Amino acid sequence: MQRRTLLTAAAAAPAILPFVARAQGTQKATLRLKWLAQTQFAGFYLAKARGYYEAEGIDLTINPGGPNLLTENLVATGADTFGLSGGTDSVFAAREKNLPVVCIGVSHQQTPFFFVTRADGPIRTLQDFKGKTVTTWYTGANYVLLGMLAKIGLKPGDFTMQPQQVSVTPFVEGQIDVVTATKYNEFYTLMTRMGREKLRTFVAEDEGITFPRDTLIVSETTARQKPETVRGFLRASIKGWRDALKDQKAGVDVVMAASPALDRAHQEFMLVEAGKLMTAGAAAQQGLFWIDDAAIRSAHDFLRQNDVIKQPVDLAKAYDGSFLAAIPVADRMA
Amino acid sequence: MSGAVALPAPRGAAGLRRAAPVLMGLGRLVLGLGIAAAVWEGAVLGFGIRPEYLPRLSAILSTIAATPEAYAAGFLRTALETLIGFAAGVAVGVLNGVLFLRAPVLRDMLFPVFVVSQTIPVIAFGALVVLWFGNTLLAKAVIAFYLTFFPVTVNTLVGLQSVDPRQMALLRSFGATGRQVLLRLLLPSALPQIFVALRLGASLSLVGAIVGEWFGDTTGLGVILLQAMYTEQVTVMWAAILCAAVLGTGFYALVALAERYLVFWGAEA
Repeated sequence: MQRRTLLTAAAAAPAILPFVARAQGTQKATLRLKWLAQTQFAGFYLAKARGYYEAEGIDLTINPGGPNLLTENLVATGADTFGLSGGTDSVFAAREKNLPVVCIGVSHQQTPFFFVTRADGPIRTLQDFKGKTVTTWYTGANYVLLGMLAKIGLKPGDFTMQPQQVSVTPFVEGQIDVVTATKYNEFYTLMTRMGREKLRTFVAEDEGITFPRDTLIVSETTARQKPETVRGFLRASIKGWRDALKDQKAGVDVVMAASPALDRAHQEFMLVEAGKLMTAGAAAQQGLFWIDDAAIRSAHDFLRQNDVIKQPVDLAKAYDGSFLAAIPVADRMA
Repeated sequence: MSGAVALPAPRGAAGLRRAAPVLMGLGRLVLGLGIAAAVWEGAVLGFGIRPEYLPRLSAILSTIAATPEAYAAGFLRTALETLIGFAAGVAVGVLNGVLFLRAPVLRDMLFPVFVVSQTIPVIAFGALVVLWFGNTLLAKAVIAFYLTFFPVTVNTLVGLQSVDPRQMALLRSFGATGRQVLLRLLLPSALPQIFVALRLGASLSLVGAIVGEWFGDTTGLGVILLQAMYTEQVTVMWAAILCAAVLGTGFYALVALAERYLVFWGAEA
């Protein structure tokens, strides 16, 4: 028995230590990411490593996300201070459920995923999706697909849509005709396994649909009570991202240090693609994390038309660009 | 089995004689592992299995060798979570068993609640645990605990209940106190049964720790596994699986070893 208590005590010590050793003077805060450490989040890791958050008086802990974790919930309940959540779609869904979260910045200005077919296959245009098997994620991408196909007159019964599993192997093996891929992750796997020239892509923006994703959120309480912290967090994050996009080696290094088992070549590719998504659209003139009201409105109306959100969401309350506006445009440019 | 009862082994020839079967067993184990490794490597090469399905063992090992610190850190972290959860689960489980034996009212009240708690899939629990405990080591230990305490409770109770009442009566007639009966008769008699649960708990607590790591964490074998799965780094995935297997087997072996020394009069295993 004695040995067992000793073991428990020894094992519990490291778990308790972080609570004891709280930093003084600075404010504790956490950032919940939408996924595990990868260069999709390089700017936040670099900002932390270079002390940008500290300089703003924020002692920031970066919490990785995972499957089945809803960032909106964690931020709304106060378990996390800041969150990089799914995207405009998940912010709408959260607001519809009356979760008190506010979006303070948008990372990916355009739809970060597209639909991929074989370049030498029978699908040359969207029209050719008729009668084919498509896999996609049922977390928003499915509506983008339905919307794109609706624009050219295809109805849900005209093709087979299935939920996409983790691996893109069924597509590589030829079991399905169309696969959904994020530009920075699955597409890299497809490229390395099949070759870029073997792949044809269908982009939502070509059909006039845009779906900004990777949204920075805080709770309404934080936005109201600690506006200075929110501004400081944004200033530091943007500074980190400017560094990471300019000096991509540093951006990849800091992520590789956090998660050494990652494939470096993949992470380098991911940072390039993340950079493209972050500086696309209105962000080219307005800088990083810009909240493009027109794009948000279009995504909202699109989801409303498809009855994904049952009631209109008050966009002015859900998206608050005032924190970003406090930072001069010149400091926001990538 | 009887060898384990003896006092410290004498030095010299007798010690060697005693160590020989152990060495022999170890030798066979190494040989078995070697054959399994050779079959693995040979099958992948011979049948031309593509690395997306099953990479060569050597490729997996060299993946680990490329960033050993990542796997070592993951291994230690997961081991710690498993151990804390297991220890807490065992402590609470044994305590529950004793409590339920002494107070059948409590058993009737709480046991159904425990059963209900165990029917909830652990995955449904994960998100809640993160909400309550954050991304701490504690959160993972709690899930490991959740999977461990129930089998220990049940087996402790069964073990305690199966004690021969005549033995109890004998001890009582000598004027043994309740505490003495518990420590000298009840618990030792229940030990073989408890160890059945401990061996079960050893693997369950590892499952709990790894599942816990899937709800957002920075280090751990579960984290490596998840990350590799979604970036389709198949060799990294296998490397994490291999580390988890080593951890699970090692922990199980330790529990079995403890059983051999503590239940020296021979469990039915």
